[in-house]
Amino acid sequence: MILKKDISKRMMIFLGILLIALVILPHVSTLSTTTLFSRIFIMAIYAMSYDILRGYMGFINLGHALFFGSGAYIVGILFNNIGNTVPMFLVAIVITLIYSSIAALIMGKIVFRSKGGGAASVVAGAMTTLALGEIVRHTAERWRDVTMGADGLSFRIPPVFADRTMFYYYALIFLIVMTLILRQFINSPTGRVLMSIRENEQRAEFLGFDTEKYKLIGLQVSGIASGFSGVMFGVMNRFVNTELLTVQQTLNALLITLVGGTGTLYGAIIGSGFVNIVQSQLLNFRRVHPIFERWLLFFGAMYVIVVIFMPKGFMGLYYSITDKRKSKLQNQTIKETSGKTS
Amino acid sequence: MGEILIETKDIGISFGGHKAVNKVSIKLEKGKLTTILGPNGAGKTTLFNLISGLLEPTEGQVFFKGTDITRLSPLKRIKMGMGRSFQLTNVFGALTAFENIRLAMQSKENIGFKIFTDHRKYHQLNEKTDKILEKVLLKDKKEFLASELSHGEQRKLELGMVMALDPEILLLDEPTAGMAIEEVPVMIDIMKNIQKSGTTIILIEHKMDMVKTLSDKLIIIVNGMFLTEGDPETVSKDPEVLKAYLGGGVLDELAAKS
Ligand SMILES: Nc1ncnc2c1ncn2[C@@H]1O[C@H](COP(=O)(O)OP(=O)(O)OP(=O)(O)O)[C@@H](O)[C@H]1O
Ligand SMILES: [Mg+2]
Repeated sequence: MILKKDISKRMMIFLGILLIALVILPHVSTLSTTTLFSRIFIMAIYAMSYDILRGYMGFINLGHALFFGSGAYIVGILFNNIGNTVPMFLVAIVITLIYSSIAALIMGKIVFRSKGGGAASVVAGAMTTLALGEIVRHTAERWRDVTMGADGLSFRIPPVFADRTMFYYYALIFLIVMTLILRQFINSPTGRVLMSIRENEQRAEFLGFDTEKYKLIGLQVSGIASGFSGVMFGVMNRFVNTELLTVQQTLNALLITLVGGTGTLYGAIIGSGFVNIVQSQLLNFRRVHPIFERWLLFFGAMYVIVVIFMPKGFMGLYYSITDKRKSKLQNQTIKETSGKTS
Repeated sequence: MGEILIETKDIGISFGGHKAVNKVSIKLEKGKLTTILGPNGAGKTTLFNLISGLLEPTEGQVFFKGTDITRLSPLKRIKMGMGRSFQLTNVFGALTAFENIRLAMQSKENIGFKIFTDHRKYHQLNEKTDKILEKVLLKDKKEFLASELSHGEQRKLELGMVMALDPEILLLDEPTAGMAIEEVPVMIDIMKNIQKSGTTIILIEHKMDMVKTLSDKLIIIVNGMFLTEGDPETVSKDPEVLKAYLGGGVLDELAAKS
């Protein structure tokens, strides 16, 4: 399933065409579509970072938004207080990197301490992450001098990011680079150990892996990616508020990975496209009927539909189609060879 | 007696008043294949759990190569050279057979926390993994997901994973459990080969006839307690052992003695 071999030639061609289409897109679409796609790219990385945890490590993090929201706050606070320059953007990236790895370390040290698995400890772990996320959100709300509390923080961004079309390209590059990095991580020896931990942590430990350390690394990588996507999100919106730190924001990542396919990495990109497009369409329908303002309602409905009809998301659907074709071929060859021997 | 690799001293554990393992003292000799034999529920797996660190004893101590390891984590024991398999098949279902063993090999070769190199680039690991797959007769199944393998194949895979770790001492919990009769000799051959390479093996079984030819020594556990030990010929003829296997009096006798 997840252990897909290297990309086929056909896939390369498809990706090439897709890339060209995405490069052309802002020149043939409206500004709002361009911005929507920037959002899709950034949210894809946010969701991908979540997939590393849930899909590859088997860890449910209900406080995942704390990395994302903090990234957005870090860049906003720096631009607001020190200066909206490109070097300051780079400083924001570095600070987010450090902040996320420390936050992940603290979170992991607390959550991963209780060993042994079991439903009770999974729930306890999830609850702890929820509480940690809430602590960060609460802090952001209370620290009014810097964060403007519940009003949210608006800020100016460096001129190079101001052009929507140019920003679209930055977001696209961000998507590609981060996807390659996270893909490399999943294919690294450490990534493989994480998958074995998802399958059976006790067994992984009996193979001689210090599972807690591996999980900490996984959470740090995921947290950093989430934080970076938060920085990009903040720059795109030129605004950050505590909503980016809420459980709802974590659930967005969950929904995107569910729709796209958990444990598939690329599912996050497809899921982000689907969810964001549906969400923006619903907002357009607001004029038709106020019920369309109830994003949460549709969120729930979409969740149910996916779980019932597409339990493995779009990527699962895709893999099952290609696998069927493959296993058909395999069956044929088995029949042929067994025909020869008998 | 040769060098002792593992020793338990009056080790015991109780679950809610029930003594699953009760003051068991055994010595396991280097280079030998020792079989722990006993009826269902005798406490064999629990004894393994105490030796491998999955459970902490309520009394007694465990020594490994002369060191008291009673309070050490399973991980530390593995790093010291202990390997174990599980009675209930315990493989990584969503990963391929190859990947299951490759991971064990990765651990053995101490690749460490690499995050930016591709796991497929470690050609040496891949070659060694292929060799193990060959040894456990799963070479043609290497690209199958572990969950797609038959029960017998999963047992072989499980064995392959501990073999890849190349431990000094191997704890095997009923490696033939649930296997089809015709597959059992294959498994025995594999174990013989491991033994030949110098690895110490402790085997849990409850099928007396299967282990008689294979083992250097038998240790009989009944009702959580050590009953007797010795070479397979003598022990298998021991009337007390036979009684234990037929169920009955011996349990009460043991209880009266202690
Ligand atoms: N974690 C546990 N909690 C409670 N009771 C346990 C636990 N593990 C084992 N027991 C009990 O301890 C006793 C010994 O079990 P154990 O699994 O060690 O037996 P065994 O000799 O391995 O049997 P089998 O041949 O069936 O595998 C049984 O009565 C079992 O119910
Ligand atoms: Mg048992």
